[in-house]
Amino acid sequence: MSDLRLEAAVGLVLRIGVAASAVCLAAGLGLSMLPSAAGPAHFLLNAGLIILMATPVGRVVISVGEYALERDWLFVVLTTIVLCELAAGVFAAVR
Amino acid sequence: MPPITAAIALVIFGAGALAGSLGALLGIGGGVFLVPFLTLVLNFPFTAAAAISLTTVIATSSAVSAGRTGKHLINLRLGMVLEVATVAGSLLGAVTAQHLREATLERVFGVVAAVVAAIMVTRMRRRNVLLDPAADPGVLGGRYYEDESGGTVTYRVRRLPIALGASFVAGNVSSLLGIGGGVIKVPALNAWCGVPLRAAAATSAFMIGVTATSGAVVYYGHGQLNAPLAAAAVLGVQVGSWSGLRIGARTQAKWLKLLMAVVLLIVSALMFVRGNQ
Repeated sequence: MSDLRLEAAVGLVLRIGVAASAVCLAAGLGLSMLPSAAGPAHFLLNAGLIILMATPVGRVVISVGEYALERDWLFVVLTTIVLCELAAGVFAAVR
Repeated sequence: MPPITAAIALVIFGAGALAGSLGALLGIGGGVFLVPFLTLVLNFPFTAAAAISLTTVIATSSAVSAGRTGKHLINLRLGMVLEVATVAGSLLGAVTAQHLREATLERVFGVVAAVVAAIMVTRMRRRNVLLDPAADPGVLGGRYYEDESGGTVTYRVRRLPIALGASFVAGNVSSLLGIGGGVIKVPALNAWCGVPLRAAAATSAFMIGVTATSGAVVYYGHGQLNAPLAAAAVLGVQVGSWSGLRIGARTQAKWLKLLMAVVLLIVSALMFVRGNQ
């Protein structure tokens, strides 16, 4: 039954992430057509892209928590490995 | 690469909408259509196209999966297990892509598309579904209600090492080529691992968000992601996948497979032509 709860939580994270990034990207794209709003456009576009990339990471974090609550240690380990791999990607990007 | 204008943003928005609806229909990211469009039609450098496409893959995955939660079609546990392999492959691919020649990437794209089309057609009639709905699906298996047949589908996951291997390759190809990788995972899960097509597609669509993120982050950090054009593509894809998801519920699995194979063959031929120019 707790898989149901995880599915609902994951769905909520995805919906919020999709909506928030879409709003930022749409506003940023609109502003980027105005030469006078280059600064805010740049900020909104990058915020939108970062929210977009953070959304799947967020649902992995939620999964780690949910499996920990269930004491399903195998899946805590598996989801934590995925998080570590994602962290390695960020490290490779900023290096 | 063409200069960034309102017109080019609009074209990319439209391309994203088309790719997104096709991607949602086929249970793949849509990148397999967007990358050829950006490179073959708009003449983008391959890495710029792959970076934009990867962001749309993330958006498709999140949008499509958000609409599907609660139906048990997404196999969360199987997804989590296979993500360990896809994300590892994706990291390797994003780093490798920085060192490969444009023509090499195009030929790899052509090979990948052709191989998957072949697998899809030869495995057309396999369904791999347990007939007894009360059967135990095991830790990684699943159970869901299918509108198409009006019954409960129960399945067990077989040959997990093959699923993991295919997922690693899918992740690798994903960030290397800017596609979701569903074109590799879905046929492999369906043909060899006992996962019904709809569950395989939904689980794959769910996984590619995390997979594409690990690749997109690398392109973003290297300054290869054009933010306004990525925004246009992402918004287009979200509109497209929203509509594709609604059409997809009424389309039959057999026709989905055939359509997928035909599209892949066309893409493959076009990429080979370009890679050998």
